[in-house]
Amino acid sequence: MIIVTGASRGLGRSVAERLISSGREVLSLSRTSEGVPGDSVTCDVSDYEAVKAVAQSLRKEKREIEGLVNAAGIASMNLAVTTPPSMTQKLIQTNLAGTIHCCQLFAPLMIRKKAGSIINFSTIAVTLGLKGESIYAASKAGVEGFSRAFAREMADFDIRVNCIAPGPIKTDLLKGVSDEQIDAIVAQQILPKLFLPDDVADLCEFLLGPQSQSLSGQVLKVGGA
Amino acid sequence: MNAEDAKKRVMASITEITDGEVEPTEEMNLIGKNARLDSMKLVELCLSLEDQAGDLGFEFDWTSEAAMSRSRSLFRTVSSLAEEFHAQAEAQA
Repeated sequence: MIIVTGASRGLGRSVAERLISSGREVLSLSRTSEGVPGDSVTCDVSDYEAVKAVAQSLRKEKREIEGLVNAAGIASMNLAVTTPPSMTQKLIQTNLAGTIHCCQLFAPLMIRKKAGSIINFSTIAVTLGLKGESIYAASKAGVEGFSRAFAREMADFDIRVNCIAPGPIKTDLLKGVSDEQIDAIVAQQILPKLFLPDDVADLCEFLLGPQSQSLSGQVLKVGGA
Repeated sequence: MNAEDAKKRVMASITEITDGEVEPTEEMNLIGKNARLDSMKLVELCLSLEDQAGDLGFEFDWTSEAAMSRSRSLFRTVSSLAEEFHAQAEAQA
């Protein structure tokens, strides 16, 4: 079974749908149960105890976990000087702490099997240093740093940990961003085109599968940067 | 399960996960510079105790704030880990 967080919308939903259509058993985690593909559990990943309860339940049911896709996250486009502290806290708690919670609580379910693949989500904004995304990028830079070190910790158990760092991807979440802003970011990518959720789902399938067995601690940048 | 049983379980688990290469004592350090288990074996020990707790009908939580603050670290020695394992079993009985 593969756990996908943030599966109610955006990339998390696309990845969950792809994995289900590929015949994989998926457990979708999200804050709401509405529109969530596959088996689902309502869970806010920023709440350590909530994630812990899901992990305990899976262990009791002796569910075997092959993979974890940490797609839950929030974005906020604001200059740092105009971002309220509550938003800073929310970005760090959801994007960084939420990823850490899921890794530390679901990894033991893979350690028992000594196999597994974990995918965390960063952003191309970390590499490009995009204006208006400083705090968002900081939370995701934390995810990258955590993932590299966690990859070493998990290597002893044959569990791989990698990051996918998308640029702008054509999902509902881009609705609030102007075409000009999107074009400006896309122009900075090595491959200057707007990629689709399917492109990210392709990478997820690759990282979850045996073809990527030589990769761990890496950040795959969608579009290149 | 009494306190002595808990100690025996911890020691037996250490022997098992190290294939008998480590002979545990009550005061053997589990963390720190004199630790006899590497980090990988320590995780395996935790998972082994978690599984045994499940068989015994309780949840062994080695990450709780309460467990950590009670003795600064339940992983100081074999005895401290066994005490925590026993305490959690008693608390959930």
